[in-house]
Amino acid sequence: MSVSTLLENWSDYRHLHPVDDVPHNPYKWAMSIDLDACSGCNACSVACYAENNLPVVGREKFAHGQAMHWMRIERYWDEDISAPGGRDFPDQGAQFLPMMCQQCEAAPCETVCPVGATNHTPDGINSQIYNRCIGSRYCSANCPYKVRYFNWYDYPTTDNVWPAEMNQQLNPDVTVRGKGVMEKCTFCIQRVTVAKNNAKTQGRLVRDGDVQTACQQACPTSAISFGNLVDPESKVYKQWKAQHVELDKEAQTKDKEEGGSDLRGYRILEELRPYPSVMYLERVRETAI
Amino acid sequence: MYRFISLSILLLGMLTATSCYAADAPQPTQMTEDDLGPAIEQPIEFPHFRHAGDRDKGGMEINCMYCHTYARRSAVAGIPPLQKCIGCHQSIESVRESPRIKKLFEYWDAKKAIPWKKVHDLPDFVRFNHERHIERFIMQQNRPFQEVCGYCHGNVKEMKVARRQKLLSMGWCVTCHQKDHLVRVADGKAIGTQAYWYSMHKPPVDASGIVKAKGPNDCSVCHK
Amino acid sequence: MMNSGFDRRDFLKVLGWGGATVALSGCGNGSVEDGKETVVSYVEAKDYVIPSISVYFNSTCAQCDAGCSITGRIREGRVLKLEGNPDSAINRGKTCGLGQAGVQHHYNPDRVREPLLRTGDKGEAISWDKAYALIAEKLNGVQGEEIAFLSGGVSGHLKVLLGNYLESLGSRNHYVYEAIAPAVLRAANQKSYGAEMPRFSINKAKVVLSFGADFLGSWISPVHFSQQYAQFRKGVDGQRGVLVQVESKMTLTGANADRWLPVRPGTEGILALGIINALGTASGDIAAAVKDYDKQRVSKDTGVSAEQIDKIAALLKARTPSLVLVGGAAEGYAHGSQNAAAINLLNHVLGNVGKTIGVPVSVPFPQMSPATGNTAALQALNNSLAAGKYKVLFSYAANPVFTAPTVMKFKDNLAKVGFKVVFAHYLDETALQADLVLPLDSALEDWGTQVPEYLAEGAQINIQQPLMEKLHENTRGMGDILLALVKQRRADAYKDFDDYYAYLRNALLQNKDALGGSGVDDDYFWNDTLSKGIVKLAGATGNLSGTASAVGLTLPPPAAADTQYPLQLIPSINASLRDGRHTNQPWLQESPDPLTTIVWDSWVEIHPKKAAELGIVEGDIVEVTGKNGSIKVQAYLFPGIHPDAISIPLGRGHEAMGRYAKGYGVNPFQILDAVFDKETGELAMHETRVKVSTTGQRVIVIKDEGPVGGKQMGRKIAVRVPSNKIDLSKEI
Repeated sequence: MSVSTLLENWSDYRHLHPVDDVPHNPYKWAMSIDLDACSGCNACSVACYAENNLPVVGREKFAHGQAMHWMRIERYWDEDISAPGGRDFPDQGAQFLPMMCQQCEAAPCETVCPVGATNHTPDGINSQIYNRCIGSRYCSANCPYKVRYFNWYDYPTTDNVWPAEMNQQLNPDVTVRGKGVMEKCTFCIQRVTVAKNNAKTQGRLVRDGDVQTACQQACPTSAISFGNLVDPESKVYKQWKAQHVELDKEAQTKDKEEGGSDLRGYRILEELRPYPSVMYLERVRETAI
Repeated sequence: MYRFISLSILLLGMLTATSCYAADAPQPTQMTEDDLGPAIEQPIEFPHFRHAGDRDKGGMEINCMYCHTYARRSAVAGIPPLQKCIGCHQSIESVRESPRIKKLFEYWDAKKAIPWKKVHDLPDFVRFNHERHIERFIMQQNRPFQEVCGYCHGNVKEMKVARRQKLLSMGWCVTCHQKDHLVRVADGKAIGTQAYWYSMHKPPVDASGIVKAKGPNDCSVCHK
Repeated sequence: MMNSGFDRRDFLKVLGWGGATVALSGCGNGSVEDGKETVVSYVEAKDYVIPSISVYFNSTCAQCDAGCSITGRIREGRVLKLEGNPDSAINRGKTCGLGQAGVQHHYNPDRVREPLLRTGDKGEAISWDKAYALIAEKLNGVQGEEIAFLSGGVSGHLKVLLGNYLESLGSRNHYVYEAIAPAVLRAANQKSYGAEMPRFSINKAKVVLSFGADFLGSWISPVHFSQQYAQFRKGVDGQRGVLVQVESKMTLTGANADRWLPVRPGTEGILALGIINALGTASGDIAAAVKDYDKQRVSKDTGVSAEQIDKIAALLKARTPSLVLVGGAAEGYAHGSQNAAAINLLNHVLGNVGKTIGVPVSVPFPQMSPATGNTAALQALNNSLAAGKYKVLFSYAANPVFTAPTVMKFKDNLAKVGFKVVFAHYLDETALQADLVLPLDSALEDWGTQVPEYLAEGAQINIQQPLMEKLHENTRGMGDILLALVKQRRADAYKDFDDYYAYLRNALLQNKDALGGSGVDDDYFWNDTLSKGIVKLAGATGNLSGTASAVGLTLPPPAAADTQYPLQLIPSINASLRDGRHTNQPWLQESPDPLTTIVWDSWVEIHPKKAAELGIVEGDIVEVTGKNGSIKVQAYLFPGIHPDAISIPLGRGHEAMGRYAKGYGVNPFQILDAVFDKETGELAMHETRVKVSTTGQRVIVIKDEGPVGGKQMGRKIAVRVPSNKIDLSKEI
């Protein structure tokens, strides 16, 4: 194959999964997060702990950077705050960013797993198979968002992680991970599977609203939308369309167009070409005051 | 040459060490040539042949799903609640005093659940959904239920206490998932895109419009 | 390790050959355990119970007073996860992080499981019969006025039963105490609007001006207000709502503001009058009152520039209706009531009353309406305890030994009570001082009714029902305990009720018609009520009758500088930890503080300029000393605070309450000065003045943000777009 063909079709080769000629049919799960609505309250993060059997690692391990929060809220200040010549006070507030696995279409983590423990489902989720993982941690080294978390310790047998009675809270639909295994946000695939199962029994496809991720369900401001990007009735489809964000482009068409910057939708670190499935809506900086 | 030998010894040593570690991991239960599971002792020796067996062999030909009723609507087939046994047995005078039935009623009177031992166990990281298999093979393909249940569970209607008959390993499951099965066809057309919701491959549609599809081969369908 | 002349090809050759060996040595189905696991089937199963399919029950979240309704997901008889109940007008299917952690309150390994007879540091487990007998014995011969009952806020039938019990004892000494309560606000609202808690419609406002009201975090009903906030941002008539937050220390809501204005601590009322002056629309006594509050004076007093004051006034004029809210400005100061009165006046001047400040609705059963807590109750109780007034004290849902400032000497005064009974879930600081500790059912195991203080759209009574069987055999529901106690005094009146469940059921059925159950039979109504988890009612409408008057409004000048104690301590309220009652829930300990991202520990926020002055860097252990004590805590440089203030979060610093709470952080409640709001007697939380000195020790602050401290280093990660560049009406 010639170099020119390669370059022309680069984005196709990079992100078309081995699903023959029917990628993302009939589901492609995607998310959209409105940063203007996100208040930074951390309800989504705690809900994720509850739903996915996340271990509480405790003070010392947190200090070593070994926290396991699949969904984390990052807090940013404007660049000039407390900088020389800049503002003394963050008089336009802070900026909160919920960050979790972006379920990249061309995930940098999938290609480097030595044993193939992480791969892409036909419905567009980056899957993590715990019992296959041998703990090389190459995937988390490659992840540009740093949303992969490694079980450095055997949390099920560690004191005070799940002591008696607290272990009754564990969700049986999600594996409890042992030592040496990588984990990350799965778009609550266990809930998606239940929804697909119920829909299939009824002879239909999953409708918008049938399945909510734990973070979406908890969020008090409804900043998170989750759904099927292939379903034209779904909220997520409509949002992505209204924002002119295209899943399979790293340089959005709208950025080259007139008035493209009027739209708030964007994806993070798009230029690295992972084709993430999460669209963020920019927070608005009020000019009236 | 010497380089090769010293390197081999080094690597062999490392690999042996790793194998030793692997050897300390729990070994699978002793397999016979037929991949038969171990004979497991249950609190009450429940005779499947009496209940599910053919009438000419003294059985009552009860449908598997009369007792294991959740199979058609849940991921687990379920062991029936004690209430189901008592439902019939409270009226069967002829066996009321036999030792096993007496034991049954002891549990019932004490309102104590019978602690059955699990015969068909899958690892905790595996999700197996009975409902989907019942839906496909019994409801859609109209195969006889004993054939469908028996494919994985063996000839239960001739067993006393159930005993695992098949390997139930991932490879064994995948072998079946790689076979082409007829998907429900109405008016010669496949219904929606249901045929390949879980599969990585688009199924072939032959000239008469009949669709055959493989089972899901996406890891996350079975791995939690 | 490699010899020189080593050939890569040789290495790979050997590796390939060796690798095959490992593959053969095998990994079988190692985690399959045939015949080892037990399958415990049901004895008699309800027909909705299908193994592996979840069952959902509705109940009420009890983690704070907002009264959100929850739906619990139950698998095989265990509650696994809590979600919001979509039918509640308060939370509409949403929950906050604190609500999610409710399962950790229930499954907490440090719950008290037996009635404990305590002597000194030891507790001896005794039977319930013995415990009840002991109570009867200790009450024998004691007069009603020598008995007191301390509780947190209570409502619903528990409040009724509690009242009946006290009446049977002949005691009127019910102290309702909440360490963090909007009590000054309630009194101010009553005066300004004629209602303690009118309806706030953030979603109808075009501008929200909040004086320290953390409505997205911990103020009154945060899940409800968060939803209103989301609508507010989408815009009324296509115009996005603008949030201006004025406070001395940035709260979560402040972090979301379009304009955050650091104000000199205590001067919020002055700023409010300054804005009324700048608006120029007031008349009569209000105009007279604000005459002297011109921009220059106000700017000097508060630290908010004249330009900003003009901008705010212009914005409020241009976009109506607006909404002005009061939070810390009220609760923080000795002149808090005056602050609140001045700020509430703004709503009158702007014409918001009747628009975004609406008529409240209440449940038409006043006996069930909440008895709200405040800190004046603590003061009153403490004084009585000091005078040795009480021989018997009961305590429920309060932890004053932890939350009372040390200067009040509450623990010592408590020791003067002959017999102390604490109803507790955990052995917290107060329970450790008890003579008898009675273990409670968790909120997820118990029956009850609850009426929230802040009712959203219509009136509702929240139902609390068990989401699963009791975890521990010997815990009891508070209602059951009270019923047993009241039966000791009035056996006949309650003889028809075997337990609290029977009492509740009877109480609700008796009012079936008023509760929307007319025409259906009792069983149907009861089951339907439990199934829904909420009883919605036509509420009794209140009225907004307060006066828009500035008569009697006097604001003190800004506090003079104190050279000995130059900084003002502002204890901050974290939405999850609050007054420390949930610190033993590990998810909350590990959930990073939204503003500092610090976990599992306390910190003191110092403005970077002030820190530079004092020679403090991040991680320095500093000693914060006030008149009434000192604490040592790690320093964190935080730009969102007034340079004359420092802030330490409340809720940590437990000395008891289990493995996840004990020993983490420091407790700023301890060093608070005993300063009280002049009008209401509420503890003025921000009036403590301190000095900060380094100790020479330094630690690494354990936080979630990286060492860069929240900067994006020029990358487009979390992006903002100016509002005049976008058109929100095009969005979904």
